[in-house]
Amino acid sequence: MSNDVWALAELNSGRLATISLQLASKAAELAGAFGGQSAAVALGPGARAAAADLGACGVGTVFASEGDVYSQYLAQPYAEALAALIQQHQPKLVLYGGTNFGRDVAARVAAKLGLGIEYNVNEVSVQGDQVMMTVPAFGGAQAVQMRFVGSGTQLLGARQNAFPTVRAGGSASVQEVPAPAAPANGAKITGTFGTEGAAEAGHLGQAPDGHDIWMPAAARAKLEEAQVIVSGGRGLGGPEGFRQIEDLAAALGASVGASRAAVDAGWIPYTHQVGQTGKTVKPTVYIACGISGAVQHKAGMGTSGLIIAINKDKEAPIFGFCDLGIVGDLNVVVPQLTAAVKQRKGE
Amino acid sequence: MARRAARNLEVGLHVNIVVCMKETPSTTAEKRFGPDMRLERRKEDAIINPFDEYGIEEGLRLQEKHAGSTVTILCMGPATATETLRKALAMGGDRAVLVSDPALAGSDAIGTARVLAAALQKIGFDIALFSNAAADAYGGVVPGATAAILDMPLLSYATKLDIDGASATIERQADVGFNTVQANLPALVSVTKAINEPRYPSMKGIMASKKKPLDTFSLADLGISPEQVGAAGSREQVVSAEKVSTQRKGEIYVGNEGAAERVVAFLVENKVL
Ligand SMILES: Cc1cc2nc3c(=O)[nH]c(=O)nc-3n(C[C@H](O)[C@H](O)[C@H](O)COP(=O)(O)OP(=O)(O)OC[C@H]3O[C@@H](n4cnc5c(N)ncnc54)[C@H](O)[C@@H]3O)c2cc1C
Ligand SMILES: Nc1ncnc2c1ncn2[C@@H]1O[C@H](COP(=O)(O)O)[C@@H](O)[C@H]1O
Repeated sequence: MSNDVWALAELNSGRLATISLQLASKAAELAGAFGGQSAAVALGPGARAAAADLGACGVGTVFASEGDVYSQYLAQPYAEALAALIQQHQPKLVLYGGTNFGRDVAARVAAKLGLGIEYNVNEVSVQGDQVMMTVPAFGGAQAVQMRFVGSGTQLLGARQNAFPTVRAGGSASVQEVPAPAAPANGAKITGTFGTEGAAEAGHLGQAPDGHDIWMPAAARAKLEEAQVIVSGGRGLGGPEGFRQIEDLAAALGASVGASRAAVDAGWIPYTHQVGQTGKTVKPTVYIACGISGAVQHKAGMGTSGLIIAINKDKEAPIFGFCDLGIVGDLNVVVPQLTAAVKQRKGE
Repeated sequence: MARRAARNLEVGLHVNIVVCMKETPSTTAEKRFGPDMRLERRKEDAIINPFDEYGIEEGLRLQEKHAGSTVTILCMGPATATETLRKALAMGGDRAVLVSDPALAGSDAIGTARVLAAALQKIGFDIALFSNAAADAYGGVVPGATAAILDMPLLSYATKLDIDGASATIERQADVGFNTVQANLPALVSVTKAINEPRYPSMKGIMASKKKPLDTFSLADLGISPEQVGAAGSREQVVSAEKVSTQRKGEIYVGNEGAAERVVAFLVENKVL
């Protein structure tokens, strides 16, 4: 077996997913640490064109395979191509993303070749010739250290944003790989719709422990299931204040919450109310804007993963139970934050 | 090879449905790792993997739509999982199968898939339902791995499922947008929480569940050798576990200037952006 580290890239309608750049950056770093070569595997329409971006993140080689079969079938042709490459080159480690695509493909490859497979990895470190993985357990209450045992290639599934994108510069050499034949017994893609965004379609994102959050069929856009919530209170000054909140929420792919004071004032419907007499929410991030943090409000959001508060009164109770408190004017900070988030996301 | 029930649209479609259900610790139970670095599972904390309620519900709906179909609930777990299987049978379904063997303790996702694939073959099925991931570790690997071992298609992340005489069609939550995807039967399907609203068991259902047949298979019954599964066959190992601090960080940033940048940096540090 070699000391090479690969990244399984992911193309959506020809567009490289952001997680692929994160995986390529980490593959380049780990290959350096193990003294091997780094590569990315890009399969499907747009694979060749993706090589430039992947190379800029440091991988030396891009195995690129284009062919209609990839857009006609789920998982199977991808798994077949990746399994063949793994058997041929025997990399030490293949990084895949904890996406629907990544899990489907990696599961098939691991089962076919009998490889080790780990998922929801949040952090990695190198110890000798081993990779140590940190995986959240029990809803994020514990951090578990894992390692692989036995020989053969290992498949490491990373959470979204687990690794930073490092555009160190560089260019990859492209190695063309023939596309496999259509599977004899395949899951055939007969149509595509709703590509405007997963957030609207039912997949709200991932919780801190990596599990997917789905909108239930009965009540789409349920606040209780949201991963990120931007909430507004009396400090917004009026119904038009919620426009800034909605803009920030849109930039973050978040749902909109509110304090009772804002609801009672008629600025936003009751369905958005968070608190003792409203909804109990547990998002990864709760951003409270112009909310003082009364105990009745806290009752509905106090167990959120991270709490960020923006309030102009440094004595506001919410600063007593937040992770990051901004003492400032929301009318200035919120629009700037919306712009900064959009810029960061490259929109 | 899996046997497909005879199907003839004239006389109705008899679908042989198997739902794979994992037993998981209750989400509120106190959890810890034992000295062997394995999750300590206590029988009184065991529940149906909450996401598998969606798979069971979808199986029952298929059965309601296609009279004469059968629903079997399949679980690999400790001998005490019979109680959890009875809870599943209280929702509905005809019978349950438990695969249980001391050698299975500590199985990883691939080991589990080997067992489920063998059990599915032994039972025979037209449709095998899974949830897209279990609530214990959110692995989401077992459905794809089982499909690969059976060399069958997996219709994954289904938000809608329909079958006709020879094939199944789903709407699938892709990473961006949706697909419609079709496969010939027999096929595996993994469902998301968006597919339905699971029913609560009725009093009648709870009573009926006690009398439904429940078979237990050992590894030998499935012709699997012990070293392929359990801790012996597992390719991953827990080295250590530590509690994550639940203390709020309480960082205070004063002033409008640079505040937006600080928030973005904070979101990046915490892997939200
Ligand atoms: C039985 C009972 C049940 C209740 N249930 C709920 C409930 O479910 N949910 C709930 O939220 N409340 C509930 N309440 C009400 C709760 O006690 C508070 O009155 C309410 O939460 C206050 O809302 P607020 O924080 O928006 O308003 P305020 O307390 O008035 O706070 C507004 C904040 O905005 C800040 N601010 C103003 N202007 C700006 C600016 N330009 N920039 C930045 N910050 C600014 C101020 O400094 C202030 O801290 C309940 C009360 C009772 C008695
Ligand atoms: N031990 C098991 N017994 C039966 N089904 C299982 C088992 N483990 C996993 N599954 C099925 O596979 C799905 C995904 O599980 P996982 O890959 O563990 O997240 C579950 O929702 C079940 O449908």
